[in-house]
Amino acid sequence: MTKKRETESFLPLTPAIFHILLALADGEKHGYAILKEVARRTDDKVRLSAGTLYGNLARLEGAGLIAESSRRPEVVLDDERRRYYLLTEFGREVAVAEAERMEEALGQARAKKLFRKPKLA
Amino acid sequence: MGKQTLPFSQRLFRALVRVLPFDFRINYEGEMEGVFREQQREVEEQGGILGAFRLWRETIVGIFTTAPREHWQILTSDFGYALRMMRKNLGFTVVAILTLALGIGANTAIFSVVHSVLLRSLPYPQGQQLIFIRQQEKKIGIDDLSFSVKEIEDYRAQNRTLSGLVEYHAMSFTLFGHGDPERVRTGVVSANYFDLFGVQPLLGRTFLPDDEKLGAPPVLLLSYEYWKNNFGSDPGIVGKTFEMNDKVHTVVGVLPPVPQYPNENDVYMATSACPFRSGKMHLEDRDMRMMEVFGRLKPGVTVAQASADVSTIAAGLKAAYPKSYPENVGFNSSASPLQEELTHGARPTLLLLLGAAAFVLLIACANVANLTLSRMAKRERELAVRSALGAGRSRLLRQLLTESFLMAFIGGVLGLLLAYGSLELLTDFVGRLTPRAREIHIDSQVLLFTLAAALGTSIVFGTLSALFSRANLTSSLKEGSSGAGTGYQQNRMRSALIVCQIAFSFMLLIGAGLMMRSLFKMQQVDAGIVPQRVLAMRTTFNWSKYTEAEKTGVIVEKLLERVKSEPGVLSAAISSRYPFEPEMITGGPESVSFSFQIEGRTLEPGQAPPVSTFAAVSPDYFKTLGIPLKGGRLLAETDSDKLKAPNVVIINEAARHQFWPQEDPIGKRVSADGGEHWAIIVGVVGDVREFGLDHAPAPEFYAAQAQNPQPSTLIVRTMAEPRSLAQALTRAVHDVDPQTAVTHILTLEQARYESMASPRVTASLLGIFAGLALVIATAGIGGIMALMVSQRIREIGIRIALGARPLRILQMVLGQGMVLTVIGIAIGIAGAVALTKFMKSLLFEVPPTDILTFSGVGLALLIAAILASYLPARRAATIDPNEALRAD
Repeated sequence: MTKKRETESFLPLTPAIFHILLALADGEKHGYAILKEVARRTDDKVRLSAGTLYGNLARLEGAGLIAESSRRPEVVLDDERRRYYLLTEFGREVAVAEAERMEEALGQARAKKLFRKPKLA
Repeated sequence: MGKQTLPFSQRLFRALVRVLPFDFRINYEGEMEGVFREQQREVEEQGGILGAFRLWRETIVGIFTTAPREHWQILTSDFGYALRMMRKNLGFTVVAILTLALGIGANTAIFSVVHSVLLRSLPYPQGQQLIFIRQQEKKIGIDDLSFSVKEIEDYRAQNRTLSGLVEYHAMSFTLFGHGDPERVRTGVVSANYFDLFGVQPLLGRTFLPDDEKLGAPPVLLLSYEYWKNNFGSDPGIVGKTFEMNDKVHTVVGVLPPVPQYPNENDVYMATSACPFRSGKMHLEDRDMRMMEVFGRLKPGVTVAQASADVSTIAAGLKAAYPKSYPENVGFNSSASPLQEELTHGARPTLLLLLGAAAFVLLIACANVANLTLSRMAKRERELAVRSALGAGRSRLLRQLLTESFLMAFIGGVLGLLLAYGSLELLTDFVGRLTPRAREIHIDSQVLLFTLAAALGTSIVFGTLSALFSRANLTSSLKEGSSGAGTGYQQNRMRSALIVCQIAFSFMLLIGAGLMMRSLFKMQQVDAGIVPQRVLAMRTTFNWSKYTEAEKTGVIVEKLLERVKSEPGVLSAAISSRYPFEPEMITGGPESVSFSFQIEGRTLEPGQAPPVSTFAAVSPDYFKTLGIPLKGGRLLAETDSDKLKAPNVVIINEAARHQFWPQEDPIGKRVSADGGEHWAIIVGVVGDVREFGLDHAPAPEFYAAQAQNPQPSTLIVRTMAEPRSLAQALTRAVHDVDPQTAVTHILTLEQARYESMASPRVTASLLGIFAGLALVIATAGIGGIMALMVSQRIREIGIRIALGARPLRILQMVLGQGMVLTVIGIAIGIAGAVALTKFMKSLLFEVPPTDILTFSGVGLALLIAAILASYLPARRAATIDPNEALRAD
């Protein structure tokens, strides 16, 4: 119960944050990779800059939604300045809660026949 | 990679990143740079200026939207943390906040006075254009000669620098037609007086040029306070009539609630309505001086130009009327800003107090910094751990500054309340020094000052403590113990702060000590009278009934007869003034000075004539006040008949010493009107310190009241407590003439006490400041000694275990406290010697480097320091070596 309330206190997420969490959902990534993935997946609609990216990462890290990974890639590939971030269990819960929230909103919009030509899922 | 090889875009990016908080940069700057490089590479690969432009735009916007949020985040977390830390160390927090509140409060209070009195321009439109014009007779020491009607006409007609010139004098008249006859303070002014000051009436109108014409129907303006208090703010007051000086006066207007300069009055009348000012004597005689003169500068004209202008006019007057302006008195005139004129009496005292308050704040700062340092010793491990965990140094500095700002801010709010509470007292005090006192209030600028004081304070003590804790952060983890040897440097810093506190406290104590010694000396001075059981009451006759000297003589005689018959009265006199009369204390001897000539003596060309003060007294004046006869005789009833008896005067010893050092003055003759009338000296009496205990007695001429009627004050010596007779005496005066107003009832002891009010309040305020400083500094010494003992507990334990006697330990700790105190006192002495010379004008018969004060204060500080160090020293001496060695 308290946990639910805790996750809900983050909702709704900003698009940038939601997509950052999403980018980390399939494995840890470093900053630039997150930025690229978000841009790619949103068709460049959510564009992060160095400042907004790390501002968001700092907040997510502070709130415990993501964490720095202790795993480093092979030395040759690794830029020493790069840190890798992973989605924490809590972060996953928040992302799921956000997705559910959006799903529910979408469902209600459909029930109201907001879309004239409903797409088949 | 060297910095110089960085491409421009990278350097620009780094510069941009600097707007982000330090902690954020520490964590992410490298990565951000990496990301930015990758993005740039990508853009370059794709080519096109548009892509590059878009990247820069997004990067800049991104940084500038992230920065405020990050700063805010850190600030709120710092505040939260600071509040938690403050709550955790409640004792420390309370002491620190109270110390700061006292320091900031003292400064706010004094600043609000300085701001309202010295800094703010006068509350009139273009107040800086208002000037005060004075005539002087420098050679005979008269600095402020009033003006005659003829002179005012000349200055008004001849000046080229003023857009207006007005006159003013104050009178007491009796007003009839509103309940009991009432004595009203009346300002007699030029018709354009209020126009010149820029004052618009609240009701009705101010004076018109026609009001000032001789024979015009008399009109009155009421002051706001008088209208409010005596007429219940009656909106229909305009048009009502009252009788004054046997004439019907019509109220034409009410003034707004503005401060009135130079004096507060109940009502104002135009010059033509004053029976004296419109009398033939004043209108025609150039030497009948009674008025003050104000002017307004034409736009663009400086005070210096106006001063030169009036000085030229004075030179012209001198040439045209050599009889009125003899060469040997050094006649001239000058102009000065009205603001300066109204405040110069208060300036030295206020600046002294402002300096003292600043010292108190400095001491408070040093003390809180010290407290913070001591607490830091306990928090060192915490801070070191935080630092090791990656908190940047500037992050810690920021954290400490946040804590200190929070405390200073709370201290500032409390200080403001303190200042607000003391304002009434301060206004009362400053009222003795300047008429601007009633303008004192706390406004936005004072609030700003308080905020600045709090901010400055927090920066000073926060930085002090942060700087000196930083040095030790790295070492304290290694050392492992909460004590051994931590921060030799820190202790040195603490010691330096204590030394400063002692030095500043010493200087403040010297300031207060000198003022108190001066006050004490003043109280010891023999005033030359026996002030016990003497009552003085201002008696203002209805002047229009007593225009001739004979009539006044008759009423005075009747009055004295009636008063003497009152039971409980030992003797009674009437005089033009009396010792310690408040007006005389403010006005000084020159307000009643006159120049004269001595029969048979001629002056060298250019030599200044003799000058003396003057009083008109009835025969029993000397007996009533207890002034001893030193030669010749006192005034007698037989001197009273002006027509038959020759004019007689009595002089005091100061006059004898100055004018007849080698011969007997009895029988010599003097004249004040160039030899037309002569008065014979019949007696010599003792000196009286009429103008304040700190004024050496001036030469004095006492003339017979009957020959120079100027009845102003009734003086009565009584058998019992004099105040108990006040009512009966007032009744007696009214028995003789019910139209006489009786006011200003004061015992001579009260007057004497009041005459010392200014030095007394200065001494008390300085004393309070110095006392605060002493308490703060001794608490500081005690605190640091206790800390040193607790830090060295193991070492002391070992010493004791090795056989050191407790007495030796006690001496050691006390000795350390003494060393700090002695160094502080030595610095304090140097500072005090340098600073107290500025106090010279405020001191009476005490040199600024008074040995007794210096040694007394030094001794007091030493004793206070010993007492403060004693508790920690005793604790050290009674340390149980076993426990001490076991303790971490």
